[in-house]
Amino acid sequence: MKKITIAVSVILISLTGYSQTKTNNLQQNSGQRILGNVTTSGVTIGGYAQVDYNEPDGSTSGDLDVHRLVMLLGYKFNDKVSFLTEIEYEHVKEVFVEQAYISYKVNSNFNVLAGLMLVPMGIINEYHEPTTYYGVERPNVDKYIVPTTWREIGVGINGNIYNASIKYQFYVFNGFSSYKDGVGLLRGVDGLRKGRQKGAESNVSSPNFSTKIDYYGIQGLRLGLSGYFGRSQTDDTTIEDSTVGITMIGLDARYRYQNFEFRSQYIYTKLSDTEQYNTLIGSDLGSEMNGFYGEVAYSFNLKGVEKITPFLRYEKYNTQAKTAGSLVKNLANDKNELVFGLNYKVANGAAFKADYQLVNNAISGSETSKQFNAGIAIWF
Amino acid sequence: MKKEILFFIVLTALVAFKPINKIDKLINSEIKKTFVIDNFTIESIKVKEDLNKELPIKITDSNFKKINIDSKNLGYYYQGKAFGKVDYFDFLVIFNSNLVIKKVKILVYREDRGGEIGSKRWLKQFIGKSVDNSLKYGNDIAGISGATISAKSITFQMEKLLQSISILHRKKII
Repeated sequence: MKKITIAVSVILISLTGYSQTKTNNLQQNSGQRILGNVTTSGVTIGGYAQVDYNEPDGSTSGDLDVHRLVMLLGYKFNDKVSFLTEIEYEHVKEVFVEQAYISYKVNSNFNVLAGLMLVPMGIINEYHEPTTYYGVERPNVDKYIVPTTWREIGVGINGNIYNASIKYQFYVFNGFSSYKDGVGLLRGVDGLRKGRQKGAESNVSSPNFSTKIDYYGIQGLRLGLSGYFGRSQTDDTTIEDSTVGITMIGLDARYRYQNFEFRSQYIYTKLSDTEQYNTLIGSDLGSEMNGFYGEVAYSFNLKGVEKITPFLRYEKYNTQAKTAGSLVKNLANDKNELVFGLNYKVANGAAFKADYQLVNNAISGSETSKQFNAGIAIWF
Repeated sequence: MKKEILFFIVLTALVAFKPINKIDKLINSEIKKTFVIDNFTIESIKVKEDLNKELPIKITDSNFKKINIDSKNLGYYYQGKAFGKVDYFDFLVIFNSNLVIKKVKILVYREDRGGEIGSKRWLKQFIGKSVDNSLKYGNDIAGISGATISAKSITFQMEKLLQSISILHRKKII
């Protein structure tokens, strides 16, 4: 752990040093002077919403749900200091805080952030507003492998190096909870998902490090490399086996040329000490997880900002790509999926969506499960 | 956790206490770099109120200026603003005397998201455009994933700016 800390510190300091020399000259004063009506402080209100209809094939009945309704409330104290919150209603009745952090702008491309923040891993966790992706639901790689919406309390920095077209982010976060009140939380079927503490009376026993580097220097293309390193948290540090080590690496790409779009993502997770952990709590957590998806979309322009976009996505993910010790893999966790559908954008920030999902698992002779989804997506 | 938090506080303090220069200095140095000159003078442009009403972007005596060297016109610069998702950002556009864009730079970006538009490579797309060009996001100007709102917004402002300058040029004001 120490080695990682030192290495990252060195990278960080050199990064900030570099960005500094290039941008020391930036300042806000004269901007304010000229731009008379610019608000230098005040409240921002926004939000996003996703209302879905899901109907599995067969005799099961459909499901109508206000899946997410999120209210964004921000306050800008001055040009350097702002506070952002997102309060989420999930399935109407569950209330969560999705983000709540203060941002301190040291200079134009170097910010210090602290509070409840999103972990930068892959595409969707950070860019999770429903109008930014195709498909009624978020990709399942971003549900089972990256447990979106993944957020924890932490402190970090981010910024851009404009000469190199790079965005950098680095944070120290609280981690997943693996053991609480004598109960183990992590399991084979959904990996780390149940371990998210979401900043709610969260236990902290060891720090986790998160970083993401994005490169956007090639026109139309954006590439991302994310890393997350650390250990899960426990409320009883005397039980050594109650935590697991976590290393997660993500690669993502988004490309757009005129009306054609492509995006892809690969996430690899290595979990250590899962054999002892599974023995302790009687669970079936895998020692490796991975997930991949590729998506193509083409937009047809209609009048004004209206667009209709057919898309096709293939996903493959496995929450038990490897298991430790004598644990036998459950092939039902090894899934692949084909999703195709239409996105009808009616305004910047409002869309109607419909898609059809075909999910297979690796059990031989198992049937394809099919689902029709439709919904509305809003972001303002 | 303590050590890590302390590390950030110390790092922030170190960076925060460095002296910061004025934005005007940045504009000056961009003009010098763009035209490869050491000295120049700035002249305000007067636009009458009724003409200003016709312009998609209002020209004031502080947002649009003429750049001269030894009383010869070298070009113009515009200092403008555009709105991202939750806040404004400021940008600079430098034209040569034929009203062709020579440089676009983001002067101040305030939001956490969307700062990618400051990329030199991305902004290069505007260089060479002039009053004869239309700027349609996605066609004439390629977008940036993750910074769509800000990229659209500056493209829209740039198009309005070119239209305004075209009118000023037709009316022989510049």
